[in-house]
Amino acid sequence: MAQKAGFQTDEKALIRAAQAGDQDAFGQLVRAYDQSVLRLAMNLLRSPEDAQDVYQEAFLRVYRNLNSFRFDCSFHTWLYRIVTNLCLDQMRKRKVRKEESAQFEGADGPVDRMDTLQEARAEGDPQRSMFSGELRQRIQKALGELTARERMVFELRHYQGLKLRNIGEILGTSEEAAKNCLFRATQKMRAALVDFV
Amino acid sequence: MNTCEKIRTQLSMLLYGELSFDEEGAVDEHLEGCAECRAALERERELHAAFDQLEVEPPASVLWESRQSLQRQIAAEHSPSSPRVSWWDQFLNARWLQSAGALALLSIGFFGARMFPSLGLGVTGMSLADPGEQRVRSVEPAADGGIQIVLDETRQRVVSGGLDDQNIRVLLLSAAKDPSDPGLRYETVGILNNRAQTAEVRDTLIYALEHDENAGVRLKAMDGLKPFVQQPEVRKALAGVLLSDGNPGMRTQAIDLLTQGVGESSGNTTGNVLGRDIIGTLQELMNRENNAYVRQRGERVLQLVNASRETY
Repeated sequence: MAQKAGFQTDEKALIRAAQAGDQDAFGQLVRAYDQSVLRLAMNLLRSPEDAQDVYQEAFLRVYRNLNSFRFDCSFHTWLYRIVTNLCLDQMRKRKVRKEESAQFEGADGPVDRMDTLQEARAEGDPQRSMFSGELRQRIQKALGELTARERMVFELRHYQGLKLRNIGEILGTSEEAAKNCLFRATQKMRAALVDFV
Repeated sequence: MNTCEKIRTQLSMLLYGELSFDEEGAVDEHLEGCAECRAALERERELHAAFDQLEVEPPASVLWESRQSLQRQIAAEHSPSSPRVSWWDQFLNARWLQSAGALALLSIGFFGARMFPSLGLGVTGMSLADPGEQRVRSVEPAADGGIQIVLDETRQRVVSGGLDDQNIRVLLLSAAKDPSDPGLRYETVGILNNRAQTAEVRDTLIYALEHDENAGVRLKAMDGLKPFVQQPEVRKALAGVLLSDGNPGMRTQAIDLLTQGVGESSGNTTGNVLGRDIIGTLQELMNRENNAYVRQRGERVLQLVNASRETY
């Protein structure tokens, strides 16, 4: 607890220094959060290029608007509001265009772009190698059928481990609404995977 | 909805830890007496575990590229041609500042970073007349095989050139010791590793191996020194790692490097395979090493060269 309080104090000092134009302080803020931002964007958009675009745009917006940050919420919440809005925009655009940039046409049919990122996978992990490709595809399909908002809440709760209260704050909604969204998402996922588990 | 149906709708939220205290109590109570709902909970766990398998961790290369690109974009926003000009830029660009008083003013420091004196570099794109101080912000390999260095002066500039370029080398050697940015030191040491045949570069790598507070940078420096493991100064530095580096991975690597070839020539006598100084270092290590794996590696080498485990 003391450590967390210490970090928050340090973070406040970093933000104030960055607001005053200290580039090193800004760099430290970026490094504190950028891995989780990239992971979030990559999992949601399932395209390294799109995830990098979101990363760039998000941190540039932070850079340009840092002076307007007034500590009304945590920096994490503020940053994630920017990132989730950018991701939601992308996801909605994709739905409109019916474009599935998460997949490309391989020699043996559609291939998930994330599967080509060998570096990200735990090679030689027997549990992973035994994991059914079919189940993976089914989960991906089920995730693709969630609404952008359900997908976002599911991502933030399941993969990013954020609490629903925090998710509500980020998405500008109540904890209860976020909970309902997560409930609908898990119901849909369960229904789509009922014969696997 | 009967009780079991109601409970099952809550299982996912139970696993997420998102039930209220009372709701969780009611679910727990029901589960104690209902085998079917316990089985349903197990299925829910399997479902969650299946979701986990789909998580993607961004590759380090993608993260690195993203950081570099962001850094470039922010540097571009700071360039004089950009419409966004900070008070600091305006201040520095003021005509009166270009007078003799500029040098004294700049010596206050830029971005609070550690500086080194202007090198007066004869590098394309740099104004040699500029007084002031400079700091290497980042380094990266360029597509043409050269090196691209982003330099903080009164503003950031891009300096390009090959490793043979003395100016580039001076900047790299300085960046390798920049205390404020381990990422910069890591990239720099990685680039210098290709030029460790020169004593100047080797000294910098040895310095990083002995003094850098970041284990990743130390490990990178050790990689660059591998081909020179027979050089006395490198062996001495590795012996130092063995006895004083706080990272067990570093100590293990140091044992491997210092004892290369020992397993292949087990018939040789002690002195022929390993120098007595290294044997002494290993014996000293046995006296103080707490990590079981490192101890085991050290003991194995000492056995192979028929040396005792400890000093007497």
